[in-house]
Amino acid sequence: MLLAAWCGLLALGIFWVQSHLRVSADLRLFMPSPRTEAQRLLIQNIGESPASRLLLLAIDGDQPARIADLSRRYGAALAARPEFAFVANGAQPPPGIPEELLAYRYLITDSFDAAPLDATRLASELEDRAADMASPAAGFLEDLLPRDPTLELLHLAQRWQPRAEPHQVDGVWFAADGRRALLLVQTRAAAFDPDGQTQALATLEDQFAQARGGSGAKLTVSGTGYFSAVIRNRTQYEATWFGSFDTLGLITLLWLAYRRFVFTILVVLPLLTAGLAGLTVVSLVFDGVHGITIAFGFTLIGVAQDYPIHLFSHLRRDETALATARKVWPPLATGVASTCIAYLAFLMSGVIGLAQLACLTITGLLAAGLTTRYLLPRIAPLPGSDPARSAWLARLGRRIEGLPRPAALYVAIPVAALAVFLWRPEGFWENNLSKLTPVPPELLKRDAQLRRELATPDLRYLLVASGDSEDAVLAALEGLDTRLAGAARAGAIGSYEHAAQFLPSAGLQQKRRAALPAPAALADMLERAAADSPFEADVFEPFLADVERARTLRPLTRADLHDTPLDLRLGGELFTRDGRWYGLISLYDVHDPGAVARLATGPVTFLDLKAASEQLVAAQRSHVLLCLEIAAVLLLVVIAVTLRKAARILRVLAPMILTTLVILAVLRAADVSLSLFHLISLVLAAGLGLDYALFFEHAADDPAEQQRTLHALLVCSATTLLVFALFSLSTVPILQAIGVTVSLGVLSNFLLALLLTRERARA
Amino acid sequence: MLPSALLLLTATVASSQGLEALEQRLARTPPVSTDFVEYRFSHLLKKPLRSSGTLEYRADGVMVRNVLKPARETTEVDGEQVRITRAGKATRSLSLQRAPQLRVLLGSFRALLQGKLTPLRQDFDVTLAGDAGQWTLTLKPKDPTLAKHLARIDVYGREDKPACLEALEPDGDGALTLFAAAPPAAAPPTRADIERTCRTPAAPGAAAK
Repeated sequence: MLLAAWCGLLALGIFWVQSHLRVSADLRLFMPSPRTEAQRLLIQNIGESPASRLLLLAIDGDQPARIADLSRRYGAALAARPEFAFVANGAQPPPGIPEELLAYRYLITDSFDAAPLDATRLASELEDRAADMASPAAGFLEDLLPRDPTLELLHLAQRWQPRAEPHQVDGVWFAADGRRALLLVQTRAAAFDPDGQTQALATLEDQFAQARGGSGAKLTVSGTGYFSAVIRNRTQYEATWFGSFDTLGLITLLWLAYRRFVFTILVVLPLLTAGLAGLTVVSLVFDGVHGITIAFGFTLIGVAQDYPIHLFSHLRRDETALATARKVWPPLATGVASTCIAYLAFLMSGVIGLAQLACLTITGLLAAGLTTRYLLPRIAPLPGSDPARSAWLARLGRRIEGLPRPAALYVAIPVAALAVFLWRPEGFWENNLSKLTPVPPELLKRDAQLRRELATPDLRYLLVASGDSEDAVLAALEGLDTRLAGAARAGAIGSYEHAAQFLPSAGLQQKRRAALPAPAALADMLERAAADSPFEADVFEPFLADVERARTLRPLTRADLHDTPLDLRLGGELFTRDGRWYGLISLYDVHDPGAVARLATGPVTFLDLKAASEQLVAAQRSHVLLCLEIAAVLLLVVIAVTLRKAARILRVLAPMILTTLVILAVLRAADVSLSLFHLISLVLAAGLGLDYALFFEHAADDPAEQQRTLHALLVCSATTLLVFALFSLSTVPILQAIGVTVSLGVLSNFLLALLLTRERARA
Repeated sequence: MLPSALLLLTATVASSQGLEALEQRLARTPPVSTDFVEYRFSHLLKKPLRSSGTLEYRADGVMVRNVLKPARETTEVDGEQVRITRAGKATRSLSLQRAPQLRVLLGSFRALLQGKLTPLRQDFDVTLAGDAGQWTLTLKPKDPTLAKHLARIDVYGREDKPACLEALEPDGDGALTLFAAAPPAAAPPTRADIERTCRTPAAPGAAAK
């Protein structure tokens, strides 16, 4: 009856969670909340900036000419797909001013800033054009000259192509080795939208398969979005695989331990309750739950399977299950409470993802603890066998009894750990933000190589101008332009790009407009200049018309460029967020970061994304560590209040503290830098250690109780070790970090609790 | 240094009319250099624009077009890079990656200077008319974008020597380049005069300096 109600409730819970849970994939949920302007820009830049939505593609495996042809057809096919904002492979014409905005070139160009368009200038321009007419390019310029005798369009086109482009073969981009064609696509989906990215990647593959035909050419993809999709899919794949294997192992272990299948099912009930309760509360409290929170949270909640094991291992044929539950409750409750306190630290960490994780885990553990105490005993059957009567357990118990109780460990472990820390003091903490979004190194290497070939902007250094309006930002960018050009000349940077190069500020446009000659004056100047040139005077009518039109135009704004090729370029460089405008200055080939930093004055900020992210990670960590310290004090208080005697307190806390030192020392010796995920795993391991110690301590010197406790803890540690040892084989760095840390913790905690906490049994 | 002497270096008269045969006859080992006179006919111009200078293909693979008149100008084509230097002005450079049609056009000049005709088939429909003594090579661009600016190139030559190159644009404008030739009569020639000179090349050596 109770079982049916419980199962019914669980089914309802599953239904509710399925319809209400909104899973988010935004990795920024796991990043620290930004404090400074630079940090805010950094976090915004991750995932949403146009640069982060770029995917880099390479095609190889066939003859260059065929690859070039393939790249052209593939590029055209991709450009027609809605998943991509733009596609570039070298075959596209450079972005130009759209036909209807052509007259604006006289407000955009810097050609007449130093000296206005006057008779002298016009005469000299026509002289140059005459020379152009005697060049092989004459045939191409002829169409342009009547409208644009000063070649402003060419001047702007050149100005807008400042960066070094990749090599070309047959008119499309190729790597320097001439064997791989290169393409650049920008997805519409944000980089950390694995669903959108997975779809974009599928489209890339489909279109490639179609364009390839019978050729043996291969496609390689890289980029932030690709990583997020790959990591998600790989994590999902490994998690599923480990999950099935774990389930199988767990069933086997539990059957071996209790010899009755019903116990296996009963172990699952509190666990399932824990997961559902956690998910329900998290989706009620938070807006969307991160996929990592769920995956990770379930790992942490997995500890709850220990609770029913403690109950079942202590069941006796001569005692009701409820009575047993009452007896195991004190150590169990202390364990649950102290683990929850530890996770409380993450709740206050200021990182949304961690807070979600903590909320999920605390709710889950409480639910599992309470159901184990109050519901499970009411439906648990009589045990098949009492571990206290198991012959092999008794033998094992006697062997353990014979082991020494090396009090020296209290000193030896801290001293050894200290020695390791002194031996290898460098790199204790992982400060690299990218390590928090774990991408296998070989993929990162390939990415760096493709970025070099495609000459994408510097990923580390950035200058940012900010202001109250679009125009204020453009003016700030203009104000810096002379110094930027100076830095490029001096070799501090290779080149740079910013929005004001495409779209000057209103003030500058008005100034240029005012400097344009009046129609009659210009016609007069032109007539005189043409008279001295080989050109017919009347062919330049379209030029006169354009200048006249330019004199009446109101300054061009971002909005006018909507849906033009320039809009795409500007999209990433000039944007508004939370009421403030930002203009990014992309830098290419930064040789002297110090010189670039000195350019940042007034509204312009220098952004060293690496340093900013390291500061951010460090700040986040010190905050989390502070919270953990507070939690540790709280935990001590709880343990002290429960156990009261100093000797008992020491015996219970020793395995957990010493194990933490052991794990830290081992990781340090293996030169592993600690990340946030290690910290979470350390807390998980500490929680397990505390549980083990509490139960050993609780069993005191009663041999039968000791044997049941030994049974329970053997099952607990074996099942936990099974899960985490598998994790440590994972190719996903996060899973591996957790796996190694917790496996080490389980082993060390169990052994130390056995040696240091367990009392000698009465003879 | 007599440029025409260089052009004569590997002179052989073959009877074959194929492109390969012509290629063999035209083949030169750089450096190769020749004088030129060019007339441009354009609806933008009051009269045909005459320029003259030298065209050379250096041993380092750089093609140089030196204009001496009406104003000094040097254009160097070095792989994908083009550098243009005019008297009293800073050198400008541009990448042919951004001007693919210009690249094809310049490529055809280089091919003629070097005598490597077969690669031209990649960008042009190539036809050859006449015999070894007097031939006409016609290049029609394959790329539709280039075809908007260039209808065809006719190269007129005798034996082992291209004598004149006529580039015709779809709108009737165009340019005529006479190689190693003495400029026609000093009086302002008509387009028809120049075309006649171009299309009926003199015997080799006769017009050389």
